[in-house]
Amino acid sequence: MAATFASRCSRVGRSLFGGLSNSSPGLFTKSHEMTCGNYFSQQQRTFIQMRTVLKVVDNSGAKQVMCIQALKGKKGARLGDTIVASVKEAHPNGKVKKGKVVYAVVVRAAMQKGRCDGSQVRFDDNAVVLVDKQGQPIGTRVFGSVPHELRKKKHVKILTLAGHIA
Amino acid sequence: MASRRFLSSLLRSPLTRSPPEFQFPTYVQSLFFSNLTSRLSPIPVTGFPQTNAFSRVESGNGLARLASFQHDYVHVPQNRFMSTETNSVDSSSQDSTILESEVPPRIKFKRLDKTARHIMQILDKEAVEEVKAQKEMPDIRPGYTVQLKVEVPENKRRISIIKGIVIARRNAGLNSTFMIRRTVAGTGIEYLFPLYSPNIKEIKVLDKKKVRRAKLYYARKKKNALK
Repeated sequence: MAATFASRCSRVGRSLFGGLSNSSPGLFTKSHEMTCGNYFSQQQRTFIQMRTVLKVVDNSGAKQVMCIQALKGKKGARLGDTIVASVKEAHPNGKVKKGKVVYAVVVRAAMQKGRCDGSQVRFDDNAVVLVDKQGQPIGTRVFGSVPHELRKKKHVKILTLAGHIA
Repeated sequence: MASRRFLSSLLRSPLTRSPPEFQFPTYVQSLFFSNLTSRLSPIPVTGFPQTNAFSRVESGNGLARLASFQHDYVHVPQNRFMSTETNSVDSSSQDSTILESEVPPRIKFKRLDKTARHIMQILDKEAVEEVKAQKEMPDIRPGYTVQLKVEVPENKRRISIIKGIVIARRNAGLNSTFMIRRTVAGTGIEYLFPLYSPNIKEIKVLDKKKVRRAKLYYARKKKNALK
């Protein structure tokens, strides 16, 4: 996997109550890499927004999609949210073809998501599962691990298909 | 209020006198206590309820806090000598431990924010000790491989097992957190947990590795960093 791993820059005053307040306003940037990165050498992971390329982890036929729109959230989508995406790369015989506009559910996000007990979870990559407009997954298998957050968002079908939960 | 001013004036006089005066402080304590709290009925007038008064007054305003704090400064040493049975008294939710006293022989009036900070530190320590007394948890340091039994509240009250390497630990009193990293099915997952979280049912240390850092964020870049 040629994924680039990079760490978050250290933040001052990490709060315990949920990860939402973790990105302090001063450090929050929409761009992914700081230009003065030489002496930080760590990245601040942010939301999934337009032009974010994500990996597809089901067997619907697509391999990579690019986010067009995050359906909820002004700044972008987080773990468990639904996005509208365009298929950029697909398997030759699959249910979806390249160029198709689909809905997708984010199942792994590099940005940490806070849970209600004060813990946080973060993955190493951004991954989605393609769904239809009703929220049912298009594929029949889900690879990799998915977080518990999907249960709250009523994506129970994806949870049952998943191999490993968070 | 009048009682508070009365109390402060009461406190002024023992401050000028030399410390060991047992009768007067306890009288003051019971007076103070009965003024403030009607909930706690028969209280043993020993050193112990003092920390209750301490915490009750915390919610009041600064002057009352200061008054009780000076109160504590005056009375802690005597109550240490006086009360030998206090440690067994408390099992309820009130603060139980005796304040550590670094009482100078002459009472100095600190700035209010320094006083407040000191009070917060003491409360924090007490809270930590309370949790530690109930749950036995091993020492967690970066480089340890750890297995946790966590009760996830996300609508699923079953205990899940989380295993991984501790890559960071942040000490902040009761809010101390630690981060665990694990590679599952090709992707890495990191969890950040509060150390004293009641959802963590059990912590077991599986392995210890020697690392020369406190935060092992370099492990994110490497595939098999910690071997």
